[in-house]
Amino acid sequence: MTGSGVPTWEEVARNHGRFLYTVAYRLTGNDDDAQDLVQEVLLRVRRGLGTYQPGNLEGWLSRIATNAFLDEMRRRRRRVVELLPDEPERVIPPEPGADVAAEAEALPDDVHRALQRLTPDYRAAVVLCDVVGLSYEEISATLGIPIGTVRSRIHRGRAQLREALT
Amino acid sequence: MTGPAAPDAGGHLGDRLSGLLDGELTHAGAEEARRHLAGCPSCSGELRAVDNARSWLRHLPAVEPPAGFRDRLLAADPSLVAPPGRAAVVPLRGRRAAVATVAALAAAAAAVLGLLPAPDPPAEPRVTRLVEAHATSGQGADPLSRLVPVGVPVSFGQ
Repeated sequence: MTGSGVPTWEEVARNHGRFLYTVAYRLTGNDDDAQDLVQEVLLRVRRGLGTYQPGNLEGWLSRIATNAFLDEMRRRRRRVVELLPDEPERVIPPEPGADVAAEAEALPDDVHRALQRLTPDYRAAVVLCDVVGLSYEEISATLGIPIGTVRSRIHRGRAQLREALT
Repeated sequence: MTGPAAPDAGGHLGDRLSGLLDGELTHAGAEEARRHLAGCPSCSGELRAVDNARSWLRHLPAVEPPAGFRDRLLAADPSLVAPPGRAAVVPLRGRRAAVATVAALAAAAAAVLGLLPAPDPPAEPRVTRLVEAHATSGQGADPLSRLVPVGVPVSFGQ
């Protein structure tokens, strides 16, 4: 640790490399963008951005990674007209009784692909909740949005994911 | 904690279902939700669907970086990075990365090799361990029976 308490990049790379890469990969969807995102996190850690509170390093790294991811998504939107994802027709609600069993399985690769179909805002909320494990309060602080919005994005993100895997 | 909030159209639970699954409703809100679920097949169905998605996401495995990436990270000297802006003075992927890595490693070989720890243990994905610290989740069984009691959320930085 440096004198200021901010972790060194060496510590981050050695002890939290897989965690950081996992978050980056789930947010961006592919290895190239994930590596770019991790590199951006390196820059921001070096600049000491954000308020680091000892004892929650991975939460702090998630915050930096997610905000860097969303910044990049906003940057891209300004440059390129974003093509709408290939959405399926509005799903007709299943007949009563024809519901999917609670033990329905889904392959991780399919889940990952479905995750990438979410809009960045929904994907970020879902990743922070279900991949990183942050509380709504932590996600609210991370993204700078009200807790009600956190809950709404998580719920809609999960619902869209489920639809995509039906 | 998120409060009960106004019911959505038809008095259904909407995103309070996720709040319930995540242990983020108030005690009163959770009780109200359970009462509603007991008599609402639509919300019960939605609860199962959202719980499926939640479980699948929480069981996603950790992802290993491509071969050599962690070494390139360790070798990347932050002082080489040109602030501000995103100029990638230290490329971490691609052919240029290999050249930069060799040079950086040569300069730092003694110190780096002496301090490199053992490889990450091939244990369960630590991401899964992180998630397990929060509300219980898992495949099968009635989602309501696996809910943890409403408690104080972990504050950021704890």
